[in-house]
Amino acid sequence: MAKTSLSRLFASLSEHSIAKPSFTGSRSESVTRSAYNSVTRFVCSSAQETHLIREERSNEGDREAAKENLESVNKEEDEGEDGDHVNKETGEVGGPKGPEPTRYGDWERNGRCSDF
Amino acid sequence: MAASIAYVGGHLQYGVNFCMGQSYKQAIWVPSVTFNGCLQRELSWSCGVSKFLQIRKCNLFRSRTNENWKSFGTVITSAYLRDGSTKYFDFAVVGSGVAGLRYALEVAKHGSVAIITKAEPHESNTNYAQGGVSAVLCPSDSVESHMQDTIVAGAYLCDEESVKVVCTEGPDRIRELIAMGASFDHGDDGNLHLAREGGHSHHRIVHAADMTGREIERALLEAVVNDPNISVFKHHFAIDLLTSQDGSDTVCHGIDALNTETQEVVRFISKVTLLASGGAGHIYPSTTNPLVATGDGMAMAHRAQAVISNMEFVQFHPTALADEGLPIKPKKTRENSFLITEAVRGDGGILYNLSMERFMPLYDGRAELAPRDVVARSIDDQLKKRNEKYVLLDISHKPREKILSHFPNIANECLQHGLDITQQPIPVVPAAHYMCGGVRAGLQGETNVHGLYVAGEVACTGLHGANRLASNSLLEALVFARRAVQPSINHMKSSSLDLSASSLWTRPLVPKSLGSDVMHKILRITREVRKELQSIMWKYVGIVRSTSRLQEAEQKIGKLEAKWETYLFEHGWQQTMVALEACEMRNLFCCAKLVVSSALARHESRGLHYMTDFPHLEESKRLPTVIFPSSHTTGTWSSRQLHQQPIVKSMV
Repeated sequence: MAKTSLSRLFASLSEHSIAKPSFTGSRSESVTRSAYNSVTRFVCSSAQETHLIREERSNEGDREAAKENLESVNKEEDEGEDGDHVNKETGEVGGPKGPEPTRYGDWERNGRCSDF
Repeated sequence: MAASIAYVGGHLQYGVNFCMGQSYKQAIWVPSVTFNGCLQRELSWSCGVSKFLQIRKCNLFRSRTNENWKSFGTVITSAYLRDGSTKYFDFAVVGSGVAGLRYALEVAKHGSVAIITKAEPHESNTNYAQGGVSAVLCPSDSVESHMQDTIVAGAYLCDEESVKVVCTEGPDRIRELIAMGASFDHGDDGNLHLAREGGHSHHRIVHAADMTGREIERALLEAVVNDPNISVFKHHFAIDLLTSQDGSDTVCHGIDALNTETQEVVRFISKVTLLASGGAGHIYPSTTNPLVATGDGMAMAHRAQAVISNMEFVQFHPTALADEGLPIKPKKTRENSFLITEAVRGDGGILYNLSMERFMPLYDGRAELAPRDVVARSIDDQLKKRNEKYVLLDISHKPREKILSHFPNIANECLQHGLDITQQPIPVVPAAHYMCGGVRAGLQGETNVHGLYVAGEVACTGLHGANRLASNSLLEALVFARRAVQPSINHMKSSSLDLSASSLWTRPLVPKSLGSDVMHKILRITREVRKELQSIMWKYVGIVRSTSRLQEAEQKIGKLEAKWETYLFEHGWQQTMVALEACEMRNLFCCAKLVVSSALARHESRGLHYMTDFPHLEESKRLPTVIFPSSHTTGTWSSRQLHQQPIVKSMV
């Protein structure tokens, strides 16, 4: 399992290993932010491998969740017993109407973000 | 910089004495003095490295046999002196956000409480925390998982013990809030509805529609108002902590405050003080924080010899609405920034610089869908390279109906200022949002100043490490406020209120003698200086940093502070004078310098702190940045307490 994830990590590194502009004043080799994050975490102690894998997985999970939630955007929504809005998709009572606030990871309502 | 900063590491078995004005590369350890009946407490920050900091903390009051040191119980005494009033409380709380209120409600069962808050009680960062609070409340979730997510988000700089404590105790704190009347969203099965935010691998965000913070604040305030043991002093601006030296220990005896409505100084003598004063967003020009967030608690604590930690980790949001880019500028400067959600980028929004060049693909293959911190750095880099004030986020290529139905809030706000987001790009700029660092706290919210506790954003508990996980800040506030309760009660019970203590410190002075002309001038200059400081911080201490820029910031801030103080004192301002704007300014200077010093001390990039000359993580640097108090003999008005510190006769 670990091996597969690590090779996935290397694959993503090679995809991005084209010349990127460095940040102001940087003398280091041009590495993309994502690749650099992955590389530097990778060169930390091997005990952290599981952290890497989990992060990769949770990132992918986030993307999938975002896609799923996008699909629910146009779902009709019910009124519950007390007139409270009930979200058909999640069963949430009295919650925010419209798209799931966390579908892209942050907490948003009508376009305004309040937590991230 | 007068403060000394230590990059602390290794196995240090000695007690700590404060490092006065030494170089900021190495901490100098001096064996502490031991008293009889000493209790040894550890402010341990394991972080995978063994306990490297031991502070010998003495419960001085227990060691005394003198019968004067008996507890007076819960008597509230208010003495009105000719030169202002003094009030006596068992507990003084600075700040009325979730941390302050939660703490107050508990300690009020054991003594009298004063809550000192600089504006209306609900005016706090808590109130604006509209997202949610995270906790393990689902059977398929686990404390382990929450801990893991927190540590990963924190770039492994978190203190594992703090993380464990917060993730473990979180669920109980939520349940208590519910018992107190906070009303969170639930599912139709009757269970709490749990959302999932970025960085969390389980659904664990508890929320109240979209105003969680406000709902928690409401429930707590209601309980506070109904509690006979709690007195709320609103529009009371805290000036400085009242401290004394007992040998090598600093002891806190209360706090001076300015009633900004009546322009009167009020001295609070208290057995225990809790700082819950929140963040310091207003050191930057663009921030999500309300105006009250000027780092008052951090500054007061630093001046009172408390240790400060991890100030370099300032969390920015990449895309706040940039008022400068709006066709019709808002009449009043927006107090707290309007953040544009990631969903705009998620739905296909594209970022451009002012030359209409799409820049994200240059920085990351995921372009606009790169992680938020990557986007933030990219925007910051573009702005600094091109010397521009904002970039553009364009969603106008998407169907008009979709834009208006998903983002009506943004659409309305922009339309009111002459911008149609279905036709034109949105001007955006990063905004400062949260301070991960602050006053260094142990697991009970204790600081190195006896009788001084901290909770919430003002504290650095080790939970957030180098970057805060979404929805963990309300949780941290709840957990640590609760944890500080028992030690506070213990401390309160073993101390007495010395009714003559009030005269030990020079009283702050309201500048009536200066006259209104001079005051107007001073106010005007102070406002300009504030803007100038914010501008320096954004330009030189932003998201993408470098040693040379930080050093320039240090220089410029030093000069600006000197210029401001000179102006004040030339116009008759005295050392002990106080006014709201001037005191906020000195706190902003103090916090800004703490951020710069900390940033200079970290020679690696980790989490929120990115240095172009140290762009990688260094395993050997996976340690907190610690700032020790500065010597009193040097330093500016912002770095010294207003009063003289008396030396208490040693009882040893």
